[in-house]
Amino acid sequence: MGSLFLLGLIVFWDTARTELPAFNLTVSPKVFPYAIAMGLMVLSAILAIQILRGDVATPEGLESGDPIVKSDYKTFALVLVSLLAFLLLIERAGFVIAASVTFFGVTVAFDNKKHLRAALFGTLFITFIYFSFTRFLNVPLPAGIFKDLL
Amino acid sequence: MSSFNSLIDGFASALTLSNLGFGLLGTFLGTLVGVLPGIGPALAIALLLPITYTVSPASALIMFAAIYYGAMYGGSTTSILLNTPGESGSVITALEGNKMARRGRAGAALATAAIGSFVAGTIATAILAFTAPSIADMAIKVGAADYVALMLVAFTTVSSLLGASQIRGFIALAVGLVLGLIGADLQSGLSRLTFGNQAAVEGIETVPVIVSIFALGEALYIASRFKELGWNIIPMKGKALMTRDDWKRSWKPWLRGTALGFPLGVIPAGGSEVPTFLSYSVEKKLSKNPEEFGHGAIEGVAGPEAANNANAAGALVPLLALGLPTSATAAVILVAFQTYQIQPGPTLFLTNGALIWTLIASLFIGNALLLILNLPLVKLWVQLLKIPRPYLFAGIVTFAMLGAYALNASTFDVQVAIAIGIVGFLFRRFGMPITPLILGLILGPNLELQFRRALQISAGDYGTLWASPLSKVLYAVLILALFTPVITKVMKKVRKDAHA
Repeated sequence: MGSLFLLGLIVFWDTARTELPAFNLTVSPKVFPYAIAMGLMVLSAILAIQILRGDVATPEGLESGDPIVKSDYKTFALVLVSLLAFLLLIERAGFVIAASVTFFGVTVAFDNKKHLRAALFGTLFITFIYFSFTRFLNVPLPAGIFKDLL
Repeated sequence: MSSFNSLIDGFASALTLSNLGFGLLGTFLGTLVGVLPGIGPALAIALLLPITYTVSPASALIMFAAIYYGAMYGGSTTSILLNTPGESGSVITALEGNKMARRGRAGAALATAAIGSFVAGTIATAILAFTAPSIADMAIKVGAADYVALMLVAFTTVSSLLGASQIRGFIALAVGLVLGLIGADLQSGLSRLTFGNQAAVEGIETVPVIVSIFALGEALYIASRFKELGWNIIPMKGKALMTRDDWKRSWKPWLRGTALGFPLGVIPAGGSEVPTFLSYSVEKKLSKNPEEFGHGAIEGVAGPEAANNANAAGALVPLLALGLPTSATAAVILVAFQTYQIQPGPTLFLTNGALIWTLIASLFIGNALLLILNLPLVKLWVQLLKIPRPYLFAGIVTFAMLGAYALNASTFDVQVAIAIGIVGFLFRRFGMPITPLILGLILGPNLELQFRRALQISAGDYGTLWASPLSKVLYAVLILALFTPVITKVMKKVRKDAHA
């Protein structure tokens, strides 16, 4: 069952990807996109055949033949949400808040039990990074709601 | 002799206080990312690319090269004490090195790795210093059509040598090429694959892509699978020292590793994985006591560790002389050059001679610094492994987002980074190698440019592409690489043996 699901996912994922360059065929200058699109479609077809013959992908860090553990999508989703939080907060609330939220979110995702400590440490660390980048490396970062303070 | 004089000048400018400081910082950071599993030199350099806005080219490039070398040293520590390779060039070191550590010989394993890295790095850098200028001289005659052939060879070898399956390598390459297409076409100004998005017209920034495909991809992947695994550090007793017998058994593998690693870095063989695998199997064949292999043979650490350092130096030859990266890290260093509007290639030694010689001189200095950093201070580095994993990954992820945003202060780059992070996750999950993607993204636009240039010169005659003798040879190599994946077979065999 697991491998069937996996198979469907790969095939679906390949089709979704090959649509992109195919769309570009009518566009000029088209030699390169055309060649790449053709290449991608041929390659996905070969891959699909290989998979149907039983050559299932081996996740990184495992050797072929090792049992494939089911992915833990709860943790995965938590990390992803932390990333999206950064995207939403960076220009609205500023770097310190956005990055602290992301930092904390990832520690929670990775099963850290001591939430208060992680939040404190993260915020301090991020504030330190903020000052070293803006003051010493001259890389500007948005101050956000602390505009008047920082 | 002029190379030699230029090198002396290079030493003079590399030894200025600020350049030395950046070199030291680079060796330090490089060892750090080498030691920590999950972050490699490509990622570390990519994260630091924003500093190219404020730091001089010499200082930044010295630091980046030092990170490249440093990661090769640091990676061995993790392999030996943790059995988790810090980066891909140290996978083989874990085989024998970790067995040695379990038998209480961690000190000797670490010492042969560090000293071997130093010997190999120094010899290889010397060869680099004296071959790169002459290769560049020859390369001036290389035409646009030859470049097309050269890049196609690089694509083919990197895609077919890395990872378990050739087809997946090529798919990774194709995805990279697609990403490289996005944005306005350089010659016609036509928007490709932008779907009406204004921010996309300028093209996808390579930095956020590289940062997130490594950092976010890895974090998402680890999050989905391995969070329960802790680290099991083997305690190290005594100092990192070798006995007389260890020296006797190590020096030949060091030299052989260098001999294998350097040329395989020069030709596009996809980074440090192949030469270390080859070195391991050579040492096993030549060893007087092959029965020790698999139970902690010092030759199995000495050879591959020398090979991966020599390989890093070798990879700098095509990067500097041809502008052609042969590994993910070299590709990121190429991007760093480009942010300074410096195009590595045949004319580099003429246009930026002083800079390049400073860089080469700093490699010698960096190697010496690394030996000092790694031998007496190895216990300090081991302490790093006690950083709790949630904090480590939280730090990596936050830095990746920072790097993506800070480059242009643009949320579009952050969106791209997150999307690419998911691609990176899927690549890992489905066994696709990352390096071909990076190479496709960075070299794809260049390939298209040279391709068009060649056809413009020949007024549309496609025959020009294989007209020159060099391009004929290159296409022969390409076909060979495509249909005889001998090295992949050797690697698979070594892997199997190691697990048996």
